[in-house]
Amino acid sequence: MKFLLPLIAFSLLTTSCSSLKKEKTLADSINLDVTEMKLNNGMTALIVPNSKLPIFSLYLFYKVGGKNEVPGITGASHFLEHMMFKGAKKYGKSTIDFIIEGSGGSTNAYTTADQTVYYENLPSKELETILDIEADRMENLLLDAEDFEKERSVVLEERKMRYENSPKGQLYQLLMSSLFAGTPYGRPVIGEIPDIKSVTREQMLAYFKRFYAPNNVTLVLVGDVNTRRAKDIIEEKFGNIPPSKTVEADHASLKDEDFAPKLQEDKVVHQKGESPNPIFMMAYPTYKAGHIKGYALDVLSSILGSGKSSSLINDYILIKRPIATSLYAAHQQLDKSGFFFVGGELVKGIKLEEFREGIKAKLKTYCETEITPKNVQKIKNNYLVDLYSGLDTNAGLAQFLGDRQTVMGDWRSYKKELNLYEKVTVDDVKEVCLETFAKPSVFTSVWNQNK
Amino acid sequence: MKYFLATLLLVNSAFASDSFLKSVKKIKWKDMDVVWIEDDKFPKFTASIYFQDGALGEAVPGTTQLAFDQLTSGTSKENQRQLAEFFDFYGANLRRSVTHEYSVFSVQALTKDIKPVIGKVCEIFNDAQYPKEELSSHISRMKSQLRNLVTSHGALADRVFRKISLANTAYANPVEGNLESFDKITSESLKTRLQALNKTRKVLYLAGPSEVKNIREVIEENCHWKNEIQSVPQKLSKPSEQSAIYLVEVPNANQAQIRIGRYLTESEFEGKHDKFQFMASFLGGGFTSKLIQELRVKRGLTYSAGAYASMQRDYGRAGISTFSKNETAAETIALIREILGDVAGGKFQEKEFTHQINHEMGGYAFGFEQMNAFLGQLMLYDHQGRKYDELINYPDVISKMTRSELSSSAMEVFKWSKETIVVVGDKALEKSLSKIRPVRVIKYEDYL
Repeated sequence: MKFLLPLIAFSLLTTSCSSLKKEKTLADSINLDVTEMKLNNGMTALIVPNSKLPIFSLYLFYKVGGKNEVPGITGASHFLEHMMFKGAKKYGKSTIDFIIEGSGGSTNAYTTADQTVYYENLPSKELETILDIEADRMENLLLDAEDFEKERSVVLEERKMRYENSPKGQLYQLLMSSLFAGTPYGRPVIGEIPDIKSVTREQMLAYFKRFYAPNNVTLVLVGDVNTRRAKDIIEEKFGNIPPSKTVEADHASLKDEDFAPKLQEDKVVHQKGESPNPIFMMAYPTYKAGHIKGYALDVLSSILGSGKSSSLINDYILIKRPIATSLYAAHQQLDKSGFFFVGGELVKGIKLEEFREGIKAKLKTYCETEITPKNVQKIKNNYLVDLYSGLDTNAGLAQFLGDRQTVMGDWRSYKKELNLYEKVTVDDVKEVCLETFAKPSVFTSVWNQNK
Repeated sequence: MKYFLATLLLVNSAFASDSFLKSVKKIKWKDMDVVWIEDDKFPKFTASIYFQDGALGEAVPGTTQLAFDQLTSGTSKENQRQLAEFFDFYGANLRRSVTHEYSVFSVQALTKDIKPVIGKVCEIFNDAQYPKEELSSHISRMKSQLRNLVTSHGALADRVFRKISLANTAYANPVEGNLESFDKITSESLKTRLQALNKTRKVLYLAGPSEVKNIREVIEENCHWKNEIQSVPQKLSKPSEQSAIYLVEVPNANQAQIRIGRYLTESEFEGKHDKFQFMASFLGGGFTSKLIQELRVKRGLTYSAGAYASMQRDYGRAGISTFSKNETAAETIALIREILGDVAGGKFQEKEFTHQINHEMGGYAFGFEQMNAFLGQLMLYDHQGRKYDELINYPDVISKMTRSELSSSAMEVFKWSKETIVVVGDKALEKSLSKIRPVRVIKYEDYL
């Protein structure tokens, strides 16, 4: 038996991807069977059938996150994410989780600086029910006062777990607040403690009404569903929910320049924390999601910090006297900005300032020594393996499409993305390398020896 | 309450897993047993090699895991950098998983690259030299990372909990080893360990498009693997009574990590795998589980709480994992005790029980979605000596589960007097915890 129906129709790469045939691009070879629908109220839905197993995944991407908050209500997006599981008008207190898990499904959500995403994995027969639930809580969230207070405690415990008792969590927050000082990206997505403690139900309700509307969401459905029936149910459940009249203006009011790091010179911030070894993150400002140079920056980050053969691993870890126990490099693209970062854990005895100066100089030399045709091709090969792995499940494909629709404005952008990755050249990567590492940087550390 | 009435009717499991499992073929390649699944969704393959030997087979803790981790540190022909370049160039994802009873080495890459990639895997298994300089550097990093474990209170709690709850058994040491054992591991001891692994019984779990099977020749001619050694079952005596709470002191913590549980002997779980796992799921398997409802939803004491019952062939472990702020850590433990007592005593509602049955049966098909997870499931069944039929019959077993079976499972597994309790947190917790059991304050450094 074939293991899975052709969810994705591949006309396969017939040669080594180290020498992809020119006549067939990678983008040509991946064709997703996506049905897109746009409701009159502005809601976008994407449906991909896959009938191999009697299950499906549903993702709802709301364009609201930490960047939409203002001082005083930091953490509102995340707190609201918790409250979305506490009940709505039709599906009342403590019923949503029970319905989903009682049918064998699972559900969760996450909040970032740019979006809040809800997802469910369910048996096929639950399609109508879950769409009804999602529509109900989009339109009629309960925000029960008693639950609101209990959940406040839960959020505070989550904050302790992720940040207050985690030096690595503290380090990430320190980096963001230092790099994006004075911008919404500098605020913690989970919220400042006084704000979590003081935010009121009324403030939360107002925030909900601003952002939880059909014209601010992308729904992605992948799995064992009949497309026509799914479209009918989506229209029936969501079609009559009124759109927000203000959300587009809300988004338009957020200007890219208000989110840009304002670095004139290198910034160094050390924080005392309970890490016996120094841990650090160093970042350089780059570009927002979708910028053409982002693809070359992704390749650069992989050359420098992914895999045992990467430059940083070889020069700082796989040596006689290791300087670091772990190192990584990545390029993070946000809706309104972006940054390239290097981070890791250093061994005891390393002087932080010497290390900082050394690695800054090293990164510049890498632009000349490490950006080779072989290294660029290696990263493209790795990208392909990662791409397949990411699309292996209904949930993976839903996430893939939803991210592109929400961030890039069009799920079809994956084609352009694949083309751009395929076309990235050594010169492209060298150019972004030289440009990025010539900029001022932010260096942050957490260590129990810091003052 | 409309919902609960509806769920009293059991859901039907419409998914025909037997036809799905028919796609799993067991074949033989010379000495090698092969479990083959055709999967042509993507042009990539997964090859997972099961070794019937794990950390129990090592003389020095951490040797087995290090023998796998350092396979690419150098052969007689290529150095670490050359090997890394090779595997990274093909995008080959090499992974290892070492448990006490068995080990797994997995490779994922593009189908078109399977011959060179598997050929190189054979080379490193035959010719890994574990060069001294690379080994010394690696061990130095491992020690440094372990000393920094206090940055993750959850991971620290897991480590200390294993060592205390399995004290005086062969399973007490974490598979990654410890600060003391690292100094005893040499290039020679790693080569000896690898030779033993090469001779131990192996099974290849292979998934991918049909042409993936063409690697038979490569494996037969280049890997030279033997199946000469079979592991011998280890018998454990039953866990003893516990009389203390172990408080692992960490500086400046405003939250306490809590671990409660014990080990299970083979005689305790034989034939009860599904029942114990159902019971653990009932207690802490999701947002609607008993622990989450009582601790988080009703009282806001924690963000997360989970329960597990996991079994290998000769031993198992069952436990509860959660955390709470310092002020409510003792209250949380007391409440967990009460919940365990209630479930063991049958004090739970019919709708809770039915809900859990529906959850298990409805979620059954998800276990077949992701190839790696599915292969891992088959591997565990083979290791335990269980037939795949049990996987097919799982919904049937669950649908016949009774309330008394749930209670008796909780009573057998979570008998309070036998549960080890470990708390990682501030020393100030000692006073409140002592109301539950006498407290032994321990240093985390002694468990690294």
